[in-house]
Amino acid sequence: MRLVKYYPLIPVYLGYLVLFLIGKTLPGMWQLMAMLSFYCAVGQAFNIFLGMTGYVDFGYVAFMALGTYGMALSIAHLYQIEWLGIGIIVIGFVLAILMSGLLSVAVGAVALRLRGAYFAIATIGVNEGFRYLIEGAKLWGGSEGIIFSKQLTEAFGRGVANKLSTFWADVFVLFIAAIAALVTLCFIRGKIGYALTALREDEEAAKVMGINVTKYKIIAFITSASFAGLIGATAWALKLTHVFPPEVFEISYTVECIIIVLLGGAGTLLGPIVGGLIYGLSKYWLTVIVPGFQLLIFAPIIILIIVAFPEGVVGMFKRRVRGTSLEKFVI
Amino acid sequence: MIWNQLAGNLTQGLILGGVYGMATMGLSLIFGVLRVVNVGHGAFIMVGAFAALWLFTALGITPIVAIPIALIIGIALGFVFFYLVMKKLVGAPELTSLLATFAMGILLEEVVKLIFGTEYRGYNWDVGRVDLSVTVLPWAKIYAFLGSVAIAVLLYLWFNKTRAGTAVRSVVEDSEGARVCGVNVGWVYALSFAIGIGLTVASGVLLTMFIPVGINPYMGGPYTLKAFVIAVLGGLASPYGAFFGGLIFGLIENGSYTLFALLPGAEPFALTRFLSFVILLVILLIKPTGLLGAK
Repeated sequence: MRLVKYYPLIPVYLGYLVLFLIGKTLPGMWQLMAMLSFYCAVGQAFNIFLGMTGYVDFGYVAFMALGTYGMALSIAHLYQIEWLGIGIIVIGFVLAILMSGLLSVAVGAVALRLRGAYFAIATIGVNEGFRYLIEGAKLWGGSEGIIFSKQLTEAFGRGVANKLSTFWADVFVLFIAAIAALVTLCFIRGKIGYALTALREDEEAAKVMGINVTKYKIIAFITSASFAGLIGATAWALKLTHVFPPEVFEISYTVECIIIVLLGGAGTLLGPIVGGLIYGLSKYWLTVIVPGFQLLIFAPIIILIIVAFPEGVVGMFKRRVRGTSLEKFVI
Repeated sequence: MIWNQLAGNLTQGLILGGVYGMATMGLSLIFGVLRVVNVGHGAFIMVGAFAALWLFTALGITPIVAIPIALIIGIALGFVFFYLVMKKLVGAPELTSLLATFAMGILLEEVVKLIFGTEYRGYNWDVGRVDLSVTVLPWAKIYAFLGSVAIAVLLYLWFNKTRAGTAVRSVVEDSEGARVCGVNVGWVYALSFAIGIGLTVASGVLLTMFIPVGINPYMGGPYTLKAFVIAVLGGLASPYGAFFGGLIFGLIENGSYTLFALLPGAEPFALTRFLSFVILLVILLIKPTGLLGAK
């Protein structure tokens, strides 16, 4: 076993552990830590596709939305079957993966043929189209959405249901982020990582070299989308116990994911957690210091970062530690 | 009965479509020259709408006169954003330019919110109406349509009859080749971005004739999405394509609304939106150069 391969996971997992411990021990910090772990998790999931391929999926939030629907449908329809017990949640997670995974297969097979701006526009189209299909055809409750807090209480009792949405939902998010980090590392260190790097630098050249770019693109896309579905299922469905189409298909969530990935450093393992923490904390502080004006201050900062530091925090840090003993901890 | 209604709605759709087309020409021009999708497009339309509102209610300037004023404001805004931000992002990965234009949009929205607040506003420019038997059209909307056509024609003439326009076209064709032939490509980027933003802001003035009480800092989002569909219909990189794409989109939007309203138990408005994105995807896959574009 060459454990040294897994050293870069140490700072990432330490980060998640610290988040959990601060939330658990300091009173009143749990909500903030939950928000931070959500941002780290979406960054980690989105990075697998956006960071590694350089394709900008502007409709990424659609996968989170479908995951949310997966969990919501499971709870809203199966809550009366008593012997299922906690199995309802498991089925919810399975449905979340299936639904977001299936959509990603469909989108991937079709839209991944497009490149650059055309791909970005096509994915916005998928996101909006899906939202209006649900609203227009009155699918899954249409624009009224699904509210299932009553069903959750009925299935598990008030105590467990409360614990599920105020504690376990957030722990699941951290757990998903941790698995996503492991998968990211395996991708980066594996054959797929080399293929995707070649693809990101020059797709034509990669093709000529005999790399099956389509295959690797789709693998990264489906993996990233499934994690998004899982995050939606826990951070939105279990935590909030409702789902409304205008909320879960909101494009600004995609933009938040992009900011996190770019801030931390696209394609790096440590980037999403660094980006997620910086983004989450600065958003939180701005909301506290200048309530109502946080976007006014945030927008120019984002523009400044894009223009001045396009490779992100970890990207710059990586160059600094090259050749030192820290090198094997940072990718 | 239904045919009358359909004919009426299609007429309205054509009029609105002309304005949609004009509102998308800036997006296509910027994409054609800089290869950047302006995700903050709708926010610039919103700026134009507020300019029209303020000029009309505070200074009594009619929207027709407001169009050139908005165009100048937009061109100035375009130059400022180009030299502060976009100049460094031309040719960079999509990720950065998409995020930068989105952030510009947020910035504009928040600045306008700071000045005007978030309530819905509107104004009424009443210059009579004309009865077409199938529908009644206010003259204001007809003026907006004629204004759009006039601007499209002027842009066409500028492209084809002036040196600057020819330089822009050469950069659209092949920026390397244009550079070799002595075209100042950096200046063409700046000029095209500024004119693209100028057109977009001016189109915001025209759109206010269709939304009597819909002016709000966050009104731009739906227009950004519509502009994407329209731009793709027209081939994404061609401003005239965008104009005709707008006409087609206006017809489809209003026509399909009439038909979807006949379906029992459906929400016609949402289905219309759904249809527009289906069209977007189909065209991107089958003919990404647009309905009118070359092969």
